[in-house]
Amino acid sequence: MTVPKPTQSLEPPASFVYTGPMSTCGRNINRFSLSLKLPENRKAFLADSNAYMTRFDLSKAEKDLVQARDWTGLLKAGGHLQAILKIATAVGESLWHIGAHNADLEVADMIAACPRRVGGLPEGV
Amino acid sequence: MAQVIGGFGVSHSPSMGYEYDKGITGRFDPRWKVWFDGLQPVKRWLAEARPDQIVIVYNDHLNHFTFDAYPTFALGVADEFPQADEGFGLRPFPSLAGDTQFGWHVANYLVRHEFDLTICEDMKIDHGIYSWLPYVTAPPWPAPVLPLAVNMVRHPIPTSQRLRKLGEAIRGAIASYPGNARVAVIATGGMSHQISGARFGMANEEWDRYFLAHLTNDLDKLVAIPQEEIMRIGGTEASELALWFAMRGALSDNAHHVYDFYTFPQITGCGVIVLDEAAR
Repeated sequence: MTVPKPTQSLEPPASFVYTGPMSTCGRNINRFSLSLKLPENRKAFLADSNAYMTRFDLSKAEKDLVQARDWTGLLKAGGHLQAILKIATAVGESLWHIGAHNADLEVADMIAACPRRVGGLPEGV
Repeated sequence: MAQVIGGFGVSHSPSMGYEYDKGITGRFDPRWKVWFDGLQPVKRWLAEARPDQIVIVYNDHLNHFTFDAYPTFALGVADEFPQADEGFGLRPFPSLAGDTQFGWHVANYLVRHEFDLTICEDMKIDHGIYSWLPYVTAPPWPAPVLPLAVNMVRHPIPTSQRLRKLGEAIRGAIASYPGNARVAVIATGGMSHQISGARFGMANEEWDRYFLAHLTNDLDKLVAIPQEEIMRIGGTEASELALWFAMRGALSDNAHHVYDFYTFPQITGCGVIVLDEAAR
């Protein structure tokens, strides 16, 4: 498996620079995700995920992203990585699953590829 | 009056904490043993420096603060700062102690010098501090901590220039604190890393080593680099390096380089630099 070298792009899908408008867009996703820091909330979510997400006013499309473990889709929908990580943890996945999904790689390939070394200094230095 | 005795900049990551807990009870992952060994001189420095107070400029990762109310600058003023449960359960470490008298002095000074921070009497601390802390000291923690959280999770984040000025203001606050307390100033964040997007896991050792080589005596040069440039070549989360400018700004121009170390265990550039005030 050849893993591509990271580019210098700050645009999606290479990078998600988290901004205010993304935060507004992802408000419900983030509130839902961060609630999963508490063990009792993780239990309630795992027992009936649809009902639990309804409590946080997630749309059908947002719920589908969660059910599909579409980590990239959740980031595009305004979810913050640190929040999405709480969902991944609750369902037994990890940061590696998110990273692999974002880069369209198998988890084992992503783990094997890291650190993905690049070089270079900022412009003008 | 109190005095700044020195400080250090250090990386943080959840895995750093996790690998410590695993390593200390059995066998360290070889990649993390390198980091553990590399921090031993920092541990010795901190023990010999004997600080009475430790100011830590760090960032939270949506583990205490949420976007319902996310402060750009927040100072914790409380007797105790408990560990935040990030969703993995608490690690086997006690809360950090705080010194409210010192905390309110710094709060007053900073606001009077145009840093209008949010003051928090309840502040739970995540891996931003807890991940590296056991590598450099052990419970009971050696001194009270004054945690200053800076927004690094949602843009706009404070500029590099602003963080340098924050450090200079912290220095002023310490220098005006009655008594003869010895104060260490620590900053934590970075180095090169990106943990989302197709560039996940990128590592730029060239940049990280450049940063370490220039922080002591070329602060103007580093502060002038646009944060977007740092994110472009070092990853979106490399922007956290701006926090190190607060540490450097809190130290005098005469502060000298004592030690630095760098490694890249897996997905986060892990570096440290220790600076000491000549007067000590």
